[in-house]
Amino acid sequence: MKTMNLYSPASSSIPSLNMADEFSYTDEELIARFQDGDEQAYVELVNRYRNRLMTFVYRFVNDMEKAEDIVQDTLMKLYTHRHYYRNIAKFSTWIYTIAGNFAKTELRRKKRHKVTNLSQMGFDDREYQLPSVEPETGETAQGHFAEKKIQMAIQELPLHFRTVVILRDIQELSYEEISKIVDVPLGTVKSRINRARLQLQQSLKEFR
Amino acid sequence: MDRYQFEDLISDYIENNLSMNQRKQVEAYLEENPEAKQQIESVKQVMASMKSMPGISTSAEFMNNLNRHITAEKEAKSVVKSTRSFAGYTPLMASLSAVVVIAVVMLGLEFMPESSNQATFTPTMTEQQINDLPALPAKPVLPAKTNDNMLAESEEDSTNYDEDTPVKRNFDDKIQLVGDKRP
Repeated sequence: MKTMNLYSPASSSIPSLNMADEFSYTDEELIARFQDGDEQAYVELVNRYRNRLMTFVYRFVNDMEKAEDIVQDTLMKLYTHRHYYRNIAKFSTWIYTIAGNFAKTELRRKKRHKVTNLSQMGFDDREYQLPSVEPETGETAQGHFAEKKIQMAIQELPLHFRTVVILRDIQELSYEEISKIVDVPLGTVKSRINRARLQLQQSLKEFR
Repeated sequence: MDRYQFEDLISDYIENNLSMNQRKQVEAYLEENPEAKQQIESVKQVMASMKSMPGISTSAEFMNNLNRHITAEKEAKSVVKSTRSFAGYTPLMASLSAVVVIAVVMLGLEFMPESSNQATFTPTMTEQQINDLPALPAKPVLPAKTNDNMLAESEEDSTNYDEDTPVKRNFDDKIQLVGDKRP
């Protein structure tokens, strides 16, 4: 049976992209080509989005392994549900929505699991579950420590604040696009981002 | 402007999304409240720190794993396709075969000789045996009943009444009206 290799151009009746073309196609053109059967266009989309999605999801769930699984699931969904995409929205909006939904589902599942585990533990056991942040030495270590502090502060945000502030301040998406991804009005998005920044500022002040 | 109104406008102030009038109001508030100025700087710092956070890359195994998942997905799809069969035929082949069989039967019926289509009667008794059978009792001959005969037999004719002396019927004893005071 013939299978697609993500490292080599897929054979198809549609002429595959070459390296120079890959930079000239927009995301929407690539997904259109993929919907028409060009699997090389899928490979290009994966290469464009895997790290962006990984950053978004990791900042959201704070777990490397889980984040990678979620990105895998997102890109698999892109493969299996390619025809669900309609060219009325930006491709990035669609793919971030899928990743965000997977991430939220994972967090809810994790929360349920955590509650079960804690309820099964004795008081002494719970003490060992607290995360420890040990400062390292040197300039890199300081930067790493600052990143850890921000990451911890982000985890304290409610989910609806966390999503929008990551998309705005880490992923640098526009307010309009964020509004479409989270499917809430623009004004609400702006207000949530502002509140999230204020909450982060308060949390980080306490860390210092 | 109070503290809450000021806080609602912090992001818009930093990102320069305020109208001239709103901007002037915020700046006036900042002049009066040095701690608000500090808060603006603090939020700016948070935004800059988040922007400078390093991007996260997928692991070296990511593409291999994705490739494996896609291969598994394709295999699962092909298994589903191959199991979707009717007596060893795919749905398309089975329906095409059915159409061909029906067409052959229809053509066969069309070209079949007409005589062979009629059932033949083969007597199981000889003519002599049929003649020897006991005769059936004679059926009584009834007069033919026509509409005229039936009308003649009837004693009264419903249409036979004298128009000059109409029969006056008295229904007083039979009809009881609601609320009739008569005895």
